[in-house]
Amino acid sequence: MSNAMTKTEVFNVVKNNILDILPKVQPDMVTIDKSLSDLGANSVDRMEVVTLSMEDLGVKIPLLSFAGVTNIEGLVDVLFNNAQ
Amino acid sequence: MTEKTRSPKSPSCVQITGMGIVSAIGHDIAEFSHSLAAGKSGIRRIERSTTPPLPVAIGAEIDGFCFEKTLGQYSDMSESLTQSALYIARRAPFTIQTSVISALQAWRQARFDDKPIEPERIGLIIAGHNTTQNYQYSLCSDFRRNPEYLSPRYALQFMDSNQIGVLSEIFNIRGEGFVTGGASASGNVGIIHGTRLIQSGVVDACLVVGVVADLSPMEIQGFYTIGAMGGKQFHDQPEKACRPFDALHEGFIYGQASACLVLESATSANTRNVPGLAIILGGAINLHATATSQPDIDGEAKAMNAALQQSSLAANEIDYLNTHGSSSPLGDSVEIQAIEQVFGDHFPRVRLNATKGLTGHCLNSAGVVETIASVVQMQQGFIHANVNLEKPINTRANFCDATAVSQQIHSAMNNSFGFGGINTSIVLQKNH
Repeated sequence: MSNAMTKTEVFNVVKNNILDILPKVQPDMVTIDKSLSDLGANSVDRMEVVTLSMEDLGVKIPLLSFAGVTNIEGLVDVLFNNAQ
Repeated sequence: MTEKTRSPKSPSCVQITGMGIVSAIGHDIAEFSHSLAAGKSGIRRIERSTTPPLPVAIGAEIDGFCFEKTLGQYSDMSESLTQSALYIARRAPFTIQTSVISALQAWRQARFDDKPIEPERIGLIIAGHNTTQNYQYSLCSDFRRNPEYLSPRYALQFMDSNQIGVLSEIFNIRGEGFVTGGASASGNVGIIHGTRLIQSGVVDACLVVGVVADLSPMEIQGFYTIGAMGGKQFHDQPEKACRPFDALHEGFIYGQASACLVLESATSANTRNVPGLAIILGGAINLHATATSQPDIDGEAKAMNAALQQSSLAANEIDYLNTHGSSSPLGDSVEIQAIEQVFGDHFPRVRLNATKGLTGHCLNSAGVVETIASVVQMQQGFIHANVNLEKPINTRANFCDATAVSQQIHSAMNNSFGFGGINTSIVLQKNH
């Protein structure tokens, strides 16, 4: 990941993957305080958002690191922190 | 032979009330039927590039399939069914998406959308195994570099049984469901087990879905190396490469099709007032105990005889036989000898053709594809052409030649044989 990438850019990567995986979700529904479950994601959908986002960002993070994540903000933080 | 007769009203009678197909010669039953009648072949040069290149780049592959576009064409379908199919299968592999479309066609023809039956009374059989070979092969190089990026969905999608989950959720099917395997006879194995589920009263209706054989370059290389695949002497004339029962046959040509039948008890179809397209009178499976790909005259003859016996028909009551006819020199020769043995004096009269000459060998789904072809010919009163049959290997056999002929068919037989000594035959009757 390039050093220039901001947290907002990481959020946008996550958001695009959410929209791709969950066709019923509208862009304005994706806010950092929501959880993926709030948006209708099942357990497989949630893991797919994680793996696709890691791939887009070019990072490899042990899945255990996402264990305490409760909302999209937490997900973005783990991705952002591990990409530095 | 027993005295038992089957009428469309007999409780043990199993009818076909819906059919659907996505194949190289048609993405629905109407287009497929038109291609059969016109003798239009789907066999051509395979243009897509693969790593490594295919040893035989000739086949009848499904071209121009787009799941979302096809769904969009079913404008009269209920919004909830469309959304469910879209949500569940939008990102699914090709083999799943084609199954969903052929099943939707059959489901709609059977009128389950507006004349439903209890979900617990519908069964689901996925006919075909090793259906994810090319899907796995296509992921392998990325996986070796970056295993962390493998989709979690892979854990569901690499299994053949994923088709059960996907289709049962889309159609809300809650009866019995399983995968049937029998190599190239898988389709017939599925039809026979679906028929038994209904006859035994476990369900009133059953979807039988023959899955596309989506082969990777490795399976094609394997079939080539074992000597089963043709396309050598006609490598520059793909349209001539598949030649069932012709002296110049040299092996099968790969084909792709997803095909679905709705089987239903006569009682259920009558109650719902849905017309039966044909009746399944009987079907038999046996093994000739071999670990090899060798066909066997006795095993094939036994399957045909057992199917006839179940049907309470004599061989001379069969008007038409849809052969396994894969264009394999040994396979064709063994099958025609087995047919001659079973049909005896009637052999020169029973009409024969090989649908694989037009569709290629659809492997998993071949039995379902060819049952649909048989029903279409029964309904429309013709025998489709054997387009490349120039010098038949048996001169007494009543092969249709390079042009289709008009003929009423009352009773038909459909053979499918698979590697590992799996012999199957089913008997169909027109629903008058």
